[in-house]
Amino acid sequence: MSKSTILSGTGLSKKYGDLEVVKGVSLAIDVGEFACLVGKSGCGKTTLLSLLSGLEKPTKGRVILNGKEMNGASEDVLALFRRENVGFIFQSFNLIPTLSAWENVALPLFPLKMTNEERRKRATELLGKMELGHRIEHLPSALSGGEKQRVAIARALINNPKIIFADEPTGNLDSSTGEAIMDILNELHKEEGVAILMVTHEDELAKTANRLIRMKDGEIMS
Amino acid sequence: MNLRYMMKELYYQKRRTVTSILGLSIGIALLIILNSLSSAYRQAAHVPLKEIGADITVQRSGDVPKELVGAVFPCSAVTIHKEEVEKVQKLSGVRGIGAGLLLWVFDPNRAWIVLGIEKDNSIGPSLLRSSVTEGRFLEGSKPEALVEQAYARQFGIKLNGTISVADHKFPVVGFVDASRAAKIAVANVYLPLKEAEDLAASSKQLQSVSPYAPGDVNLLFIKADQEKITLLASEMKSLLGNKATVATPDSFLKLLGSLFALSDKFTLAASLIAIIVAVLIAFKTMAGNVAERAREIGVLKAVGWTNRNVVSQLMSESVIQCFLAGILGLLIALVASFGLSFMKVNIPIPWEMSPNPHFLPGGGDQIFKTLRLPVHIPWNLAFFAILLSIIIGGMTGGLLGRHISKIKPSEVLRHE
Repeated sequence: MSKSTILSGTGLSKKYGDLEVVKGVSLAIDVGEFACLVGKSGCGKTTLLSLLSGLEKPTKGRVILNGKEMNGASEDVLALFRRENVGFIFQSFNLIPTLSAWENVALPLFPLKMTNEERRKRATELLGKMELGHRIEHLPSALSGGEKQRVAIARALINNPKIIFADEPTGNLDSSTGEAIMDILNELHKEEGVAILMVTHEDELAKTANRLIRMKDGEIMS
Repeated sequence: MNLRYMMKELYYQKRRTVTSILGLSIGIALLIILNSLSSAYRQAAHVPLKEIGADITVQRSGDVPKELVGAVFPCSAVTIHKEEVEKVQKLSGVRGIGAGLLLWVFDPNRAWIVLGIEKDNSIGPSLLRSSVTEGRFLEGSKPEALVEQAYARQFGIKLNGTISVADHKFPVVGFVDASRAAKIAVANVYLPLKEAEDLAASSKQLQSVSPYAPGDVNLLFIKADQEKITLLASEMKSLLGNKATVATPDSFLKLLGSLFALSDKFTLAASLIAIIVAVLIAFKTMAGNVAERAREIGVLKAVGWTNRNVVSQLMSESVIQCFLAGILGLLIALVASFGLSFMKVNIPIPWEMSPNPHFLPGGGDQIFKTLRLPVHIPWNLAFFAILLSIIIGGMTGGLLGRHISKIKPSEVLRHE
């Protein structure tokens, strides 16, 4: 793995019983790169994202993220590693319904020893960048879909990640809101230098990325 | 554990929180109420003996007099010899002893129940002192009598007048209200023990059935170490023979007939059932709650929460819910015990302990000591219940947390 590579997966396979969902995939993402994984539904994109982010263990192959070998690491070690290096954005936002916007953003910081004021300050700054400074005390139920996703993006950024994994981040949004979210991701990649690996099935959205990775039937086509 | 997250979870998931708290609180309330009731019956069973200043009473049954003339012993209380009293006094655990001499006196135109009492002994019927309604209590060494108020009214006995009992004359120095007095060894006339001894010693009829010498008695009132009452009762029984009747609080408890009074085992079994019900309710509602939150747990793990972080968060929520359930259970139990404390309990006093000739008016009637059930929640029971709630919370939260923390985030976070 070169010094400019933040993430590399080699010979990754994932089987569920007899069904091989990911078939010997090798992939590398460079520091600050915005890569888009495209393909039809069921082609294995989300599974590959889970393998690369350490949410799931591969049946075969190895993953190295920010210089750390992920294979063989315990659940807790992987969790701590994700806390320090990785941000996630999900299609269905996955915000905690009982927590306000700023608390959702600060969620990865809750297990850390720091005061609530510090957490709130950091979360509020990020929500300000997402133009949600006026919504920090609102519960997710009081936010629109676009606002929820911007809260989720702020949460992904709270720990200054090296890479963000985004799984269909615009899938639950209308086209104009989806475009706004894509603008934010592009800005992040350009201004903050965060690497992004995004899964989508929409070619139009994928075009905004530096690199397009096509997947079909569990394999990378290009 | 994040306090803010925990409080918000409990506050915003009101249905979940209230269901869990209510379910467990009912179990905890049941546990407290069952134990309080059991302890109330136990306390009630102490009352008849406590009123006479004793923990144990002893008497011995004997033969029925052939002729009911002059002074006789009731068949339920015949002579306990002086030497036997001394042996009882020496038993380990006996803290004090009081004696009484109960006689039936059949005069040509009247029947008396006479009780000779040790007027200066705080153990035994001298507690009547507080039930004097007119005149004064017995004092000095002169022959004098206290008469039961209703009996005096019925037979026109006047204060400072004189009564004749088995040809012995006694000035009436006071009246006592038997309804306020102890229900054990109730009499119409109370005499100094010495005078009652003279009546007994001079009665041929009495001597022919149960030989008697001054210094002997037929009622013993014993103060004892609480933890030795049962042992002492059996030792006294073997010392005085099969015909001895030894009454302890346990004897009255058995007479109460309530399930709560019948056995410790019932209370223990019922308490165990209440605890098991409480645990099951807590486990079931919390298992449902945790299962509903699988996706949330997946998010926590994805954003870097370790299994330990997840377990401690769920455990703290569960402990707080169960603690609140414990407090609510305690409040429910307090209200219930206040209601139950208005319940009256009738403790039957066996005829043998307050013998009354059957052929006299009211002679065959069952005597009861009626009192309000002394239901209250001891602080140690309240403390135990709260502690138990917290333990249940810790265990439930810990077990469910450990189980749910093993889920793979990727499994629950896959988009729809």
